[in-house]
Amino acid sequence: MTLHDAARKLLEEHKVQGVLGYRKGSLPFRTRPYLFRDPCEIEELVFTPFCGLNLARYLLFLPQGIERVAIVAKGCDGRACVALVRENRLRRENLLILGVPCPGMVDTRKLAEWEGLKEHEVTLRGGEIVVRGVAYPLASFLDASCRRCRYRSPLVYDILVEGGEVPSLPQEDTLRELRSLPEEKRWEFFRKELSRCIRCYACRNACPMCYCKECFAESHKPSFLHPSPTLRDNFVFHIGRAMHLAGRCVECGACERACPLGIPIATMFLAVSDTVREHFAFEAGVDVTAPAPFVTYREDDPNAFIR
Amino acid sequence: MNSPWEPKIVAFLCHWCSYAGADLAGVSRIQYPPNIRVVRVPCSGSVDPLYILKALREGADGVLVSGCHPGDCHYLSGNYFARRKFLVLHELLAFLGLRDRVHFSWVSASEGQRFADVVKAVTEAVRSLGPNPLREGESTCDAP
Repeated sequence: MTLHDAARKLLEEHKVQGVLGYRKGSLPFRTRPYLFRDPCEIEELVFTPFCGLNLARYLLFLPQGIERVAIVAKGCDGRACVALVRENRLRRENLLILGVPCPGMVDTRKLAEWEGLKEHEVTLRGGEIVVRGVAYPLASFLDASCRRCRYRSPLVYDILVEGGEVPSLPQEDTLRELRSLPEEKRWEFFRKELSRCIRCYACRNACPMCYCKECFAESHKPSFLHPSPTLRDNFVFHIGRAMHLAGRCVECGACERACPLGIPIATMFLAVSDTVREHFAFEAGVDVTAPAPFVTYREDDPNAFIR
Repeated sequence: MNSPWEPKIVAFLCHWCSYAGADLAGVSRIQYPPNIRVVRVPCSGSVDPLYILKALREGADGVLVSGCHPGDCHYLSGNYFARRKFLVLHELLAFLGLRDRVHFSWVSASEGQRFADVVKAVTEAVRSLGPNPLREGESTCDAP
């Protein structure tokens, strides 16, 4: 079944009250999240390599009266759904996961060098992206988080949509280059990047796992940082968020795509995910029942870093 | 006026072991560098990584978190949970290039000498790193 047929059928048969999906945005290469409630609207539903938002974010802010909802989920949206169910934010029986195999999301900033590029001038063909008739390898246009993606199709789903072509791309270690730098160079890099942050909180607001009613960044009692976007306050915000996302980050990269300054913030969250995977053998959004790494422990956890 | 720079280190010590260990170092008249500023906490497990980050934000050159040895926690498992959080923070700071700003140790109530040794080692490690790099371009705004 195609995505459109599946979504239409669900609405027509009143299996769900809404389908959370993407719709064309008002700017080229932009899509926006939309809750389809009427089967006639479904023809406007799209799924392209420009659907970088993580739709699971919107599951926690559904309008009243929507009890059962279907979500168009690529691999990372699916992981976020699992993670939210695991954290009791959602009830699995009220959620219908419409899995779509994901070709990887295109980093639209990489298309900026073509002036006045129109959407129809960019097409995907197998593992290639064709821009104005010239084919380039898709991998070089993909978002960093998509280049290292492990789960292109959702692991947990109710309906898996057929059709979508999933080019087999090598899973790349996007942090290798950073890790190979000497320590001072790495701090130099992060010092520069963190200083650029204007703390608009777009990253936090795009994150499916950042759902606290009151964020530590805006808390006054106790206060952990000042609202001014200085290096030290940005440091507390981003590192603090990385710690809150440890073992919870689903590695979708929505934060990085949302950043208006193009700061590679996801690198920090991905580094934390690597630590959690390596030492605690845990991956967020993969298993609904596995205990979170910070609510459990082993007596033989690594101890060598402690004096 | 122009005294040479000395590192300031915030030490979060657990009430049941490390704080008592520091006390023992004191009553035993064991010398250790006066660079640490002690904050007593109920348990190393109660040390939110945000406390550590805030200490760095406020200009501390280093942070030491110390608790009971594994298996000896007054609350049975607080330090095991703490160890997981600290490992992640430790590896993240190392990834950012800020290794050795934040230290962790286990010191029991009977280890006064060990406490002095840990403080000596941490002070030297932080001294060799120089002042906290977050202080550069310091704003005049303080967190309320």
